[in-house]
Amino acid sequence: MALARRSRGESLIVRYLILGAWAAVCLAPTLWFLSIGLRPRVEIITPQPIYWPTWSLDAWRQLWEQWPMAKYLRNSMLAIVGSVAIDLVLAIPAAFSLSRYTYRGRDDIGFYILSTRMMAPAIVAIPIFFLFKNLQLLDTVWALMIVFAAINLSVVTWIIRSYMLDIPKELEDAARTDGASDLRILWEIIIPAILPGIITASVIAMIFAINEFLFTLLIASTPNAYTLSVALANFTAGTDGVIYNSIALVAFIAFIPIFLVVIAIQKHLSRGLTMGAVKG
Amino acid sequence: MGSSSLQGAGADSSAPADRLTPAFRRRPKWLKTWFPYLLVAPAVVYLLLITLYPGIYAIIQSFYAVKFGPWNPVGWANYAKLWSDYQFWGALRNTLIIGSISLTLECVIALTLAFFAYRDPWVQGWRILFLIPMLFMPSAVAFIFKLGFLDGRVISDLLIRVGLIEDNLAIQSSIWLSRSMLVLADVWQWTPFLFIIFVAALQGQDEEIEEAARLDGASWPAIFINISLPMMRPVIAVALILRGIDITTMFTNVHIVTKGGPAFGTETMSFLIYRTGFKFFNFGYASAMSVIMLILTIVIAQLVVKRAFVSAKS
Repeated sequence: MALARRSRGESLIVRYLILGAWAAVCLAPTLWFLSIGLRPRVEIITPQPIYWPTWSLDAWRQLWEQWPMAKYLRNSMLAIVGSVAIDLVLAIPAAFSLSRYTYRGRDDIGFYILSTRMMAPAIVAIPIFFLFKNLQLLDTVWALMIVFAAINLSVVTWIIRSYMLDIPKELEDAARTDGASDLRILWEIIIPAILPGIITASVIAMIFAINEFLFTLLIASTPNAYTLSVALANFTAGTDGVIYNSIALVAFIAFIPIFLVVIAIQKHLSRGLTMGAVKG
Repeated sequence: MGSSSLQGAGADSSAPADRLTPAFRRRPKWLKTWFPYLLVAPAVVYLLLITLYPGIYAIIQSFYAVKFGPWNPVGWANYAKLWSDYQFWGALRNTLIIGSISLTLECVIALTLAFFAYRDPWVQGWRILFLIPMLFMPSAVAFIFKLGFLDGRVISDLLIRVGLIEDNLAIQSSIWLSRSMLVLADVWQWTPFLFIIFVAALQGQDEEIEEAARLDGASWPAIFINISLPMMRPVIAVALILRGIDITTMFTNVHIVTKGGPAFGTETMSFLIYRTGFKFFNFGYASAMSVIMLILTIVIAQLVVKRAFVSAKS
């Protein structure tokens, strides 16, 4: 007994040392980057790094004066909300079909949808660039919306499918004997029952859309269609180099809402990240 | 679990007609057969437009020399050129090197952290803390590392203060230091992805088995290695595949931090295709690279991904 307790105490020290060390690894760069956002530009790139800066909101003012931040925010919001909406409209019926019916080729269709998640953006980048050029959609938010929706469709479909598979058959059977059609069952029974799954899928899709870089870089050639992710990569002042304090602030502006939303769906996160394969 | 309820659903829709409701019976037969296809069709068509169409386009374009104007047919010349292009093979090798080192480190760290965290009373708090790097935009993380390692020399400064090195690290002139920087950036941002999944898998396993093993006198590490890890195998496979896909398509960090240098030592496949197509406007040649990558993707998808996702379900 005493022995067991002692070995437990020892492992507790090791445990907190290791977990604490990784927490420091996560937090130190984050806090340091926050301090970059809150210091004047002259204190960023110096012969000796400055760890405790003169605090200032220069970058914040500059952000709104020098760049069309409102436009970047609007582009990001539009592209994200639009793409998630397209995804849900396409994915909910698809997931319903994949989880509730048996038919020839169903598993192959499901796997095809999954496999599009593996497609490297670079593979399709050139044809998609020309496609949008021919459609005269280059440099528009619409093109971003279409591409983001395509990137996330596999993830959204598979997450929702996994939640639909969890719904007991009996729920549906009762409604069916009452004469409800399949679509009504989907709308009135299944969708309300899997709402957490739909929200999880939307959040994951939203994060991927905010993060997207390569396609946005190709499609958005001017600030007209820049999203936050690509806009911050263009915060340079000609020969003066990169404007790190503005970049840091934009990073945190995008981080805070994502952080809050992710905490809200924490319980479903692992399931969402694995496209439904792991039930958290 | 999943597949059994799946079959249950199927068995019902082909139930004898007299058990079906009036509303369901009224439907014409063709509609009943095609209804599930109609439901899934819009999503499939959408994805075909954005994957099959570009795939075919890339295959066709790869047989042409395309600069700005007309397409000139060149037969297999682009592929022949690829075969002897050291940059192409270099990029393939870099992708594999950077990818496999990152993936291994991330997996080991995430498993270790998950092992210590999942029985901890504050596991929720650890999860939130560890999530933070993952929730920054990758382009922002790239700048954190660019500033810390290169422009701001913070890492060099810290290492000098600790006494590990004498002078500033010459990262930009060392292939391996540059690669390490990309690896560290990936590990920092994406270890949480694996950690979250592993913790969920560990929390979801049957506690009674652990309890029984512990009463038999097994230590926690022994339980973890002999019981938990084997049970987690399908989950680990799925998580590593998803992470592996994203690592092998690494672009943002390369584009922002190293631009593929020094001496093309950090150039990944994605970056090479981007550079060939959109910096040198050599679209036909870039398409040939895309086709090779596409073939690799399809082979891996069929061999590995299909199996992993099927076994994770059962």
